[in-house]
Amino acid sequence: MTEPVAVVDDFSLSLVRNGIRSRVLNGVNLRIRAGEILGLVGESGSGKSVLALSLLGLLPQASHPQTGGSVTVGGVNMLRAKETKLRKVRRELLGAIFQDPMTSLNPTMRIGRQIGERTHDDTESVRLLGTVGVRDAQLRLRVYPHELSGGLRQRVMAAIAVAGRPALIVADEPTTALDVTVQAQLLELLRELRDDFGCSVLMITHDLGVADQIADRLAVLYRGELVEIGPAADVIRNPEHEYTRSLLASRLSLTMPRDERFMQTGCDAEPAVRIRNLHRIFTVRRGGRVFGGSREIAAVDGVDLDIAPRESLAIVGESGSGKSTLLRIVAGLEKSTSGSVTLSGTGGPQMVFQDAGSSLTPWMSVGKTLAERLRPLELGRAEVRDRVTAALAAVDLPLEVAAAHPGELSGGQRQRVALARATMIPPAVLLCDEPTSALDASLAKSVLALIRDLRARIGMTVLFVTHDLAVARLMGDRIAVMRTGRIVEIGPAEQVIATPGEEYTRTLLAAVPEIVEAS
Amino acid sequence: MTAILVPSGRLRPLSVGSRRLSKPAAWALVGLVVAVTGLAVFARQLAPYNPIQPVGPLNLPPLSPGHLLGTDGIGRDLLSRTLIGIQVSWLSALVVVASGLLIGGTVGLIAGATGGWVDSVLLMRITDLFLALPGALVAIAIVAALGSGLVNTLIGVAIVWWPYYARIVRGEVKALAARPHVESARLAEVSRPRILLDHLLPGVVPTAVVSASLDIANVVLLLAALSFLGLGQKAPAPELGADTARALSQLLSQWWVPGVPGIAVLALSLIANLGGDAIRNLIPVRR
Repeated sequence: MTEPVAVVDDFSLSLVRNGIRSRVLNGVNLRIRAGEILGLVGESGSGKSVLALSLLGLLPQASHPQTGGSVTVGGVNMLRAKETKLRKVRRELLGAIFQDPMTSLNPTMRIGRQIGERTHDDTESVRLLGTVGVRDAQLRLRVYPHELSGGLRQRVMAAIAVAGRPALIVADEPTTALDVTVQAQLLELLRELRDDFGCSVLMITHDLGVADQIADRLAVLYRGELVEIGPAADVIRNPEHEYTRSLLASRLSLTMPRDERFMQTGCDAEPAVRIRNLHRIFTVRRGGRVFGGSREIAAVDGVDLDIAPRESLAIVGESGSGKSTLLRIVAGLEKSTSGSVTLSGTGGPQMVFQDAGSSLTPWMSVGKTLAERLRPLELGRAEVRDRVTAALAAVDLPLEVAAAHPGELSGGQRQRVALARATMIPPAVLLCDEPTSALDASLAKSVLALIRDLRARIGMTVLFVTHDLAVARLMGDRIAVMRTGRIVEIGPAEQVIATPGEEYTRTLLAAVPEIVEAS
Repeated sequence: MTAILVPSGRLRPLSVGSRRLSKPAAWALVGLVVAVTGLAVFARQLAPYNPIQPVGPLNLPPLSPGHLLGTDGIGRDLLSRTLIGIQVSWLSALVVVASGLLIGGTVGLIAGATGGWVDSVLLMRITDLFLALPGALVAIAIVAALGSGLVNTLIGVAIVWWPYYARIVRGEVKALAARPHVESARLAEVSRPRILLDHLLPGVVPTAVVSASLDIANVVLLLAALSFLGLGQKAPAPELGADTARALSQLLSQWWVPGVPGIAVLALSLIANLGGDAIRNLIPVRR
């Protein structure tokens, strides 16, 4: 057997965060073999990204890393070697793809120059861009990163990563910010790169489905320790460690049982939300004020929709499909160009945002934030306190949270607070804009369960926007598929998933990385 | 020749700030600012002599018995004059910056939160008008029109000073208003004034206070420059800039006579700048 590309030997690491030194990795042993794709999974905070940075020799000096053991790439200890040596290893042996290509590409440099930094040759750059599936590569050399879509940017990042014919590509959540169809393409690309160039890939992800699709071997990181490593199929189908099992159990899949409580079909009463012929057109200016033209983009392009009282409708679509704009118009946060939205019922629309952290006012305590929602009711002080207490209890938060500020809470707790505020006065419709896409799988699952509980308890209407078909199936009685501002398919959730009528829906479904049980 | 001293615009703050100060050091600097303010407030009690009357021999050097910082060309005690001068400069600077924060902050808050034509025409074009003209010259013109004197000088400087804060606050408010927390508050049926006061204002305070604290030094320098040109305090009353200017001819023979008030201006602006940096480091980063 050939030499491993990278060896992580009894690697321990502690970093200083907010003035406190804490242990991030503990005695990690890992070998990345030549030509293999090694998946590394774990929840946020498990230390997987830090391990990637260690392999690249890019540990943040500002957090005063203290290391034990060794991380060796191509015979060079990436923890101790001099910067000149590290640079040589990075240039000759390593390639990196990060989660957000917008921040890892230089916004002030044309694509061609950024690839050229490694290839030093335009024809080679064009060939590489072609390899990673960028069409019209010659033209793309002249553009800046912001002119490309997220998927294309990630491809450019991949082209840069493979430009130096690296022995190892470190990919840190490269598909998390991408739509499922683009994600499938990028995973395919990574596999091709491995087959064509024979390089190894360290694929860091929180999605076991992704890992199952692409990885040869799989390592599971939990609280800085490597709890399990083995052939990917074995780890996923016969997990040994309890943590791996819980990771698997918290995964949302298209086959998991749906909630029994909401199985009754919709009634014929007056709809809670009535959307008629809704249009929203954005005018985008191109070029300068004087000489540039303008272009009109229809974010929402003629949507008709009725949502029955107590019904939950999930809207799925890729980024740019107009689903969030539609939601914001229903919330009254954005104006429509034409068409109408009518809400029946009291309480107005309430909304839960993707990033709960930024939807809570950072300098207001949770108790104050919740009490504020009650101000229109003009209640007495004692009654406000009782209702705040009840609202916190309804979202399974301890009473002490009332005194805390959003910055002191975890992501899941913040989303619960946002939910408490949105539902403490039953809303006419609860609008959810990807409320769990920033959360770890287990947290996401519990927040989704909570939304269903609240729905069952106060019988509210829900409009749920997501890019994740498994989440849509779980949350919606009906699913509407949106594409370029139009609803292309709508029907009962189970039916849309099982027997999609539209080609586009089938494409979306095919791209979802599912774990297929071995029979 | 004297015109060289007039700050043509806003001076870039002496930035120590890219390096983070340690917490005790930051508190020490804030303490220094408080100490200077105390010195300014109690200057009349602390001054050993009447600052306007000749009280000793002419041109005594510093560390002479009875006159710690020496005396000037007509025998006035330099320590007393400098203390009163610090009082005038420092308190004036605080007044100008505070009024600028109040006016500019209000304008910026309303402009940023309202948007539309109120923002673009009424408020921001007016501030643009002020920003387009060199502040020091406009201040001089205003003082010339009102007549010289401390109060008129303060009015003149305050009039050219607030637009900067209006700009800063408006920018911050605009950025904050786009955050989901403001939209959430709107959906939670919070009234407009309450959104302004509870959900926007507290987020702006750190930036505004920090930039204002860094600005005290600029006001001290501008006031000194105006006095230097003869537009500040009337003649016998002590003023650091004017004292430096009047005694400049003695620089080579009796350096301390222009030197002491000059160094006091330097020290004040330095302390204000360092204090500003310290405050910036002490205010917790908003997330």
